[in-house]
Amino acid sequence: MLWNVNRKRKFINSGKTKVFSCSAMATKETVSVGDGIAEPGIEPGASAETMLVTTDSFEEYEQEMSSSIDDKHMKESTTSTISEIQEEVQDIPVTPTPTSPVDLKKVASPDDPELEDISYQFGQTSLDVDPLRSKAWLAQKKHVFVLSQAGKPIYSRHSSEDKLVTVMGVMQALVSFVQDGNDMIRSVHAGDTNFVFVVKGPLILVSVSKTLESVPQLVLQLTYVYNQILSVLTQSQLTRVYDQRRNFDLRRLLTGSERLIDHLLNFMDREPAFFLGAVKCLPLLPSMRDSITQTIVQTCGKIKNLVFAILLANNQLVTLVRMKKYFIHPADLHLIQNLVDSSESFKSAESWTPICLPKFDSNGFMHGHVSYLAEDCQACLLLLTVDRDVFFTLSDAKQKIVEKLRRTNCLEAINESMNKTSVTTGEIGLPEMRHVLYKCRSTAQFWSPGFQSPYTTDEEVERLLGLYQCLHHRLHAPSRPLKLIFQQLDKETMLAWVTSGFELYVTFEPLVTKPDAINSVSKLLKWIKKEEERLFILNSPTF
Amino acid sequence: MSAKPEITLEHFYVFNGTYAKKEGEEEKKILYYYPSKIDLDSQIKNIGLSEAIIKFTESFNPGQACDYCHTHKTRQIYFQPEPDFWMVMIVGVPRVWKVKDGTQFMEYQNEEVSSNVCQAILRQTYTMFRLFMGSFDTILNDPECGSVLLLKHKLDHFYSRYLLSLKLNNSDILDVFQGLQFLPLDKTTFLRVQCFMNLVEAMFSQVKYTAFLYNDQLVWSGLDPEDMQVVYNYLISTLLPAYLEKELHGGSMPRNSPSPFTSSHYGKFVTGPSSINEPNGTGKLPRVYINYSTIPISLYLVVYRALSATICLFVDSKTSLVMDFFKSLDTFLGPQLTTLVSSVAEQCSKHVTIVADSSPKYLYFNKLNLAYKSTIHLDNRRCSNVLTTPEVLRIITDINNDTNKLKEAGEVIIKTMSDYWVVGKLSNLREFFVVIQQKNANLIEIDDEVKRLCEQQLKSIFFH
Repeated sequence: MLWNVNRKRKFINSGKTKVFSCSAMATKETVSVGDGIAEPGIEPGASAETMLVTTDSFEEYEQEMSSSIDDKHMKESTTSTISEIQEEVQDIPVTPTPTSPVDLKKVASPDDPELEDISYQFGQTSLDVDPLRSKAWLAQKKHVFVLSQAGKPIYSRHSSEDKLVTVMGVMQALVSFVQDGNDMIRSVHAGDTNFVFVVKGPLILVSVSKTLESVPQLVLQLTYVYNQILSVLTQSQLTRVYDQRRNFDLRRLLTGSERLIDHLLNFMDREPAFFLGAVKCLPLLPSMRDSITQTIVQTCGKIKNLVFAILLANNQLVTLVRMKKYFIHPADLHLIQNLVDSSESFKSAESWTPICLPKFDSNGFMHGHVSYLAEDCQACLLLLTVDRDVFFTLSDAKQKIVEKLRRTNCLEAINESMNKTSVTTGEIGLPEMRHVLYKCRSTAQFWSPGFQSPYTTDEEVERLLGLYQCLHHRLHAPSRPLKLIFQQLDKETMLAWVTSGFELYVTFEPLVTKPDAINSVSKLLKWIKKEEERLFILNSPTF
Repeated sequence: MSAKPEITLEHFYVFNGTYAKKEGEEEKKILYYYPSKIDLDSQIKNIGLSEAIIKFTESFNPGQACDYCHTHKTRQIYFQPEPDFWMVMIVGVPRVWKVKDGTQFMEYQNEEVSSNVCQAILRQTYTMFRLFMGSFDTILNDPECGSVLLLKHKLDHFYSRYLLSLKLNNSDILDVFQGLQFLPLDKTTFLRVQCFMNLVEAMFSQVKYTAFLYNDQLVWSGLDPEDMQVVYNYLISTLLPAYLEKELHGGSMPRNSPSPFTSSHYGKFVTGPSSINEPNGTGKLPRVYINYSTIPISLYLVVYRALSATICLFVDSKTSLVMDFFKSLDTFLGPQLTTLVSSVAEQCSKHVTIVADSSPKYLYFNKLNLAYKSTIHLDNRRCSNVLTTPEVLRIITDINNDTNKLKEAGEVIIKTMSDYWVVGKLSNLREFFVVIQQKNANLIEIDDEVKRLCEQQLKSIFFH
């Protein structure tokens, strides 16, 4: 199974803007007034090569919407990417043998058991009362619930799910009642609260949100939660347990994974990567990045069955080396980032972790060698293979990689970039610009500067992200996509602009004039263009 | 390709959950159900689901009532007009057959339906009912025969016809605004109209309120704006079009046989006796219930028209409607109105501006006095007589919706995939939308264009 990189673009080009193609257009700079802003000829960060599957999150949404109602789409894919790789590389075909749930539990919950215990008890005592009577609980900005089609509680974000048996029963009843009428409940709206329902396989996921996020964005988040569960269990195992017992209590298999879901939900509340469907890279000199990549390629090139080598630092991508023909979907990479970011234990020892990447192959586990490069370099290296018996081979490889990186001063370079605070738009020389999100559509990578005043508190950052999400939703509204939004509101002026090559979301001072805003966008694009080799990964190395 | 897929009215019901005290009595909750053909069990089931959804949202959101629910195939709109009474309207989402990978499937175009517009329509169905039948509470507490049975009877009587006239597919942002179109007049002419209306009220003590319209535009109204909204809507979209139609078809009949009492004039009753000389009675006069924000009263609605002018007289319901009353009204109104209307017409002709087809279209709404003006809509009869695409209208609805959510004022400029520019300016409870179709224009040019338009059309209105 192979993803086509040049997916069909649901995008109408306005003659003036350039269609993304494999030519070296990134270097061309034609001045045109296509959308009346700047020179859309520039597409900083564009590259014909990409290691990420490029999709827009709204495509995902459409797929979700059509697949959950049409049973024909519901059937699991019969092809398994993992077994395909195994067959290709090895002479003897090996069928993937999913790790037994017990094993899994051990490996997937490497958290300190004591800590776990305390937080568990805390959860118990603080919410002995019915959560629905607790003002604080009701005031939470976003609730997420997971339950089985039989109405059994599986997960609740803000309280122990035990207390919510009744309310989850109601959710299940609403879903199944509407299903009986050959229909599907999608969302309910009351005042400022949106209730969003997603039915996936044997699970029901519900979000109760008071944020400005749109229904498609909430659906996307619930889909991430579902994928997070799959990454621990695999789809085939999930289906199997419910086929065997409709009334199964899935919490038994997910013990220890709640923290992954908790973390994922918090992660999504403050990271634009999710709704953008893109990944951010750690800024590095291109020569340094190449040298790191080459080190990994040379050291691991000979290891059979190694599919991906991913190096992450501060949640940003340093490099990604892939097996020829195989790409990674940003959604899978986000789950990997979530796993790394939420597991302190990886810092203390190298680990061997089974992980299912739902977009890659939802039915099988990959095995990941996860470790931080060194005490003095907190970048995390993941070596993902389909072979479950190569821990020591990978462990050796990792040692070699670290030694070489140290010798070539690469560790230092990584550290330096990690410790440097992100550049702000003020420092770039754009005083009227407060913040920006730039997504390169052809490579599914994005860049954003550091937050500056007034976005210095959590609330303000969240508010800003909420505004970006509103703009993103409007640009990509399934039936009414837009090219450009320029809005001047009380607290800030914002621009959202999509061309065939990129998506841009800019926040300005509220009183900026339109010519000044447009000028600074041109300057920004030129700056990104100048820095593109440092800010983005423009090639797609393979083993 | 078949015709454009349409939004359909699937269910419409009114219920009160407190009317069923114990299990097995669910039937008692139902006050009205459309379509009536549906069997009782399904009615009870659907109302049960609505109640469950209402309770579910309330448990998370005490104090905020459920607004709407999306399913894959329908949109369900909820409205609680009076305590414990719920109205639910379920519309079917437009659908088309599509072919993908060789298999045919039904695509439901959820995005085509605007919940806000549907909500506005559901509200209208209630306010219109209240205008003609009184509030649910008024009916239940009617001193003579108030009862649940009476309420059911009235709901059935009203909605079985009213629902057929719903224009779900031609509704847009105007339904959300429910605005009034005012006629701009010079001071002298306006004062003449106002004097005349005051004179009518003084001459005929039975007349409690009055309103004066010229064509579809309001010149003067003594009614509470909220009541005028509903009455205006009724006049413009129902009563006057039907009357004009009748006039047109009866073209051969003498427009108004010269009255024996007065010199010839053009006055005629739209509601009330069809002719003054008709010996057989005064016709049936509609009764309206207004003033719900203070002390509700019920009044007769007499509509009188001469040429393009329409006068509404809200007459005390204790008045005995004898022919003499109408005769004296006619004698007074006919000649005076005929001369007044010609001077209004003269004033109007000065204001006519011919709008070039390519020039920007705009829509203006002021929440304070409910005034609206639109060059996007050719008339306000909801006949899809619009000068732009449905996509653009939906984007205007989206802007209105989003800015309401953000609770901020400002300006939004949007460029669509089909190269339409939509500009929304919102401040001081005023909303102003401009639609410009101009390829290759840039943001600055559009901004200049809008500034020009503001200068021309809205000189005295301040936007920040």
